[in-house]
Amino acid sequence: MKRLILVVLALFGLFAGIMLAAAQDTGTAVDPSQITDDQVMEVARSLYCPVCPNEPLNTCQTEACYRWREDIRSQLARGLSKDQIIANFVAQYGERASAVPLDQTLQTVSLVTPFLIAGVALLIAIFLILRWRGAKTAAPTGTVNDPSASVPPDDPYRAALEDDVKG
Amino acid sequence: MLAEVGLAALALAFGAAIYAAVVSLIGSRRQSTALIASARNAALLTFPLLLLAAGALLAGLISQQYQIAYVWQVSNPSTPLFFRITALWGSQQGSLLFWCLLMSLFAFIALLVNWRSYARLMPYVIAYTMITLAFFVGLSLFLENPFARYWIVPDASSPNGLVVSTVFIPPNAVAPDASRLADTARGLNPLLRHFGMIIHPPMLYLGFVGFVIPFAFAMAALASGDLSTNWIKATRRWTLVAWLFLSLGLLLGGRWAYDVLGWGGYWGWDPVENAAFIPWLVGTAFLHSVMIQEKRGMLKVWNMVLVIFTFSAVIFGTFATRSGLIDSVHSFAQSEIGAPMFIFWAVVTLISVILILYRRGRGELKSEHAFAGILSRESLFVLNNVVFVALALVIFWGSFGAPIVSELFMSTDITLGPDYFYTVTVPLFIAMYILMGVAPLSAWGAVSARALGRALIVPLALTLVGLILFILSGVTSPGALFGYSIVMLAGFVAIYEIYRGVVSRRRVTGENYLRAVQSIFSRNRRRYGGFIVHLGITVIGLGVIGSTLFQQETQQTLALGQTLGIGGYEMRFDGVDTGQVAEDGRLMDIANVTVIRDGRELASLRPRHDVFPAAEGQTAMVMNIPGAHSTLENDFYVLLVGVQPDGRVTFKVYINPLINLVWWGGIILIIGTLVSSWPSQKEPASERMKSRRGKAAPAGAAA
Repeated sequence: MKRLILVVLALFGLFAGIMLAAAQDTGTAVDPSQITDDQVMEVARSLYCPVCPNEPLNTCQTEACYRWREDIRSQLARGLSKDQIIANFVAQYGERASAVPLDQTLQTVSLVTPFLIAGVALLIAIFLILRWRGAKTAAPTGTVNDPSASVPPDDPYRAALEDDVKG
Repeated sequence: MLAEVGLAALALAFGAAIYAAVVSLIGSRRQSTALIASARNAALLTFPLLLLAAGALLAGLISQQYQIAYVWQVSNPSTPLFFRITALWGSQQGSLLFWCLLMSLFAFIALLVNWRSYARLMPYVIAYTMITLAFFVGLSLFLENPFARYWIVPDASSPNGLVVSTVFIPPNAVAPDASRLADTARGLNPLLRHFGMIIHPPMLYLGFVGFVIPFAFAMAALASGDLSTNWIKATRRWTLVAWLFLSLGLLLGGRWAYDVLGWGGYWGWDPVENAAFIPWLVGTAFLHSVMIQEKRGMLKVWNMVLVIFTFSAVIFGTFATRSGLIDSVHSFAQSEIGAPMFIFWAVVTLISVILILYRRGRGELKSEHAFAGILSRESLFVLNNVVFVALALVIFWGSFGAPIVSELFMSTDITLGPDYFYTVTVPLFIAMYILMGVAPLSAWGAVSARALGRALIVPLALTLVGLILFILSGVTSPGALFGYSIVMLAGFVAIYEIYRGVVSRRRVTGENYLRAVQSIFSRNRRRYGGFIVHLGITVIGLGVIGSTLFQQETQQTLALGQTLGIGGYEMRFDGVDTGQVAEDGRLMDIANVTVIRDGRELASLRPRHDVFPAAEGQTAMVMNIPGAHSTLENDFYVLLVGVQPDGRVTFKVYINPLINLVWWGGIILIIGTLVSSWPSQKEPASERMKSRRGKAAPAGAAA
């Protein structure tokens, strides 16, 4: 009797495990042969080869990458979504496997910094232009063309053009 | 013998460069004409010496001297003569020597051309160019010597002795058997056996080393205190020439990637690609900003910063590519030169910044005019500079900054892919195209919004017509239409400005249109060449939008006679020749496919799958060489991915809309740059005399 209970419990555990795993998958499992190459490539495009230098997984031509793409196919066949597959790759091979880090801190640092750089650069430029507008200037060295000195009054475009053409 | 000659020439070039740098500085300090002339002669000597060194290595490659380790690494008996020659830059040591040769060539020409005109600057120009050259020649001589040879030395653990690679002959060493060396020689990296890759590195190197000259002149101006526009006049053409070669290098690199790397694109945001793109961006900012100093005597500090930043980016890019800091299909193997290069980069940048701060502190870099208004051309150029520099910084961050920071501080290795670069660069490219459309219509000094608006009417109307044509052709994506609009506006402004120049010229002189075009281009090649460059960038922009936003791809496995459909095309699989052996030993599978559209057979293509058998100690290399049917509308681009055991073949097919505009735009850009940098017609005699009278006799000019 005791053995029977253990067997039932084991079967129950196995069943629960399978159900739990199934619950984690968002899609329905299908035969891997039904997954098209295009579906595989769509996921592979967001991944980097874990061993080749800066090589996206969808273009990498090594044997290892063929195997990883087949791994994507089998995960798609199990019903996993693109995000889940990417997360699996990152869990297995580290953040460098993803084209954009999944870790929130890394993602924020990576993506926010460039906008900060651009914003700061723009602010500095605006500040400088405003400051220069009212700035005192050095005496001209005589090597610079002063447009105001040569502007014919009748044709503003011609005047500007002449100024440009002076090179 | 060849190795000895090359080594001696390399060592002498190193000595000559150091002598030139030191003596030019001493000569300048003592105001000694003789010393400066001696320094110049030593500097000039570096070029023939490095030519001799490179010639010796080339002779070694051609005559198959496999005892020279470099020759053994990059060639083998089956390597054709043409690739033996190009193998000179096929690996780290040879390319470093080649790099030194090109740098010495630039220095040689700069010294000859500018010697009389910019006498006060020249001693410092010699010093800066020669310090840089000595550093790189030193790397070549001491760390990456291309003349190291294989020797067999006695070894207790091996009866046949031990094979070592050394520059000097070890005691009791004997030369290895020549035929054994020939049998095991590795041969050139298959990826480099393509026309684009043959010519792409020299173009990039020329672009990189070309920026040494503007940098040297800027530093010479700071060191000598001659902070007039002399250094800018001296470097204007050098900057354009460097920019031209860098542009060519980038374009050819893109074409190589498209033809050889087999991923359907031309720009993968790879760190090494980006390392070459960053100096291009900063150099472009400098080319624009320098005009403000010439015209208005403004941004003197900023121009110095930009030229230093450009050179700094060149050195950093070289460091990143050659040191093993980053992994890439383009980079060289890990090497010992990383640390010295980093130190050199940091020291040069630091010294440059200190010199700028010193001159600025003395009030010698003050602007001669104030900014007249936000819509003035100088203000718009400043904004343009901000965009270029911001682009350079965000690309630097994605390629190097973020990966290094995450590894240093979070012990995590990350890669930022195209998604990152599209997210952060697209807004900046939009700003760049808008400024490209507006700034040329503005004027130096001040311009009213009304006048600017009036000047924009015609280009805007033309843009609207273009937009309607795009909509009629089936483009409905608002993002794409917006992108096409701003890119077209920049192009139409360039065309409109050329047109306005012609009309204005005709009004004054009564010349016919052709003559007027010729006149305006010859009167100001830089301005109108610049408009052609803008036109080229416009055409490239249209190609990039089309090929990025509307690219289609599919990968399918076909049996004989089966077809696949994509983008209005059909492709029929007609057969495959497997196991073909090429002359160089590679195994080829070649598929035959027919491209069909509307029932009509357009082209027969033969995409190829090449396998280069593994050499000793290496792994086999696979290359997918595409077949492409090109039209102005799009490219039908097919790759043979693999032959299945059952005889079916897997193909990857891309439809790349407007991709050929990228290449055509590149050609227009190159033409525009050539027009801009072409020497102007001779000044009238009176002007020439006047300018000569105004100049001091150059030190050492008599030498």
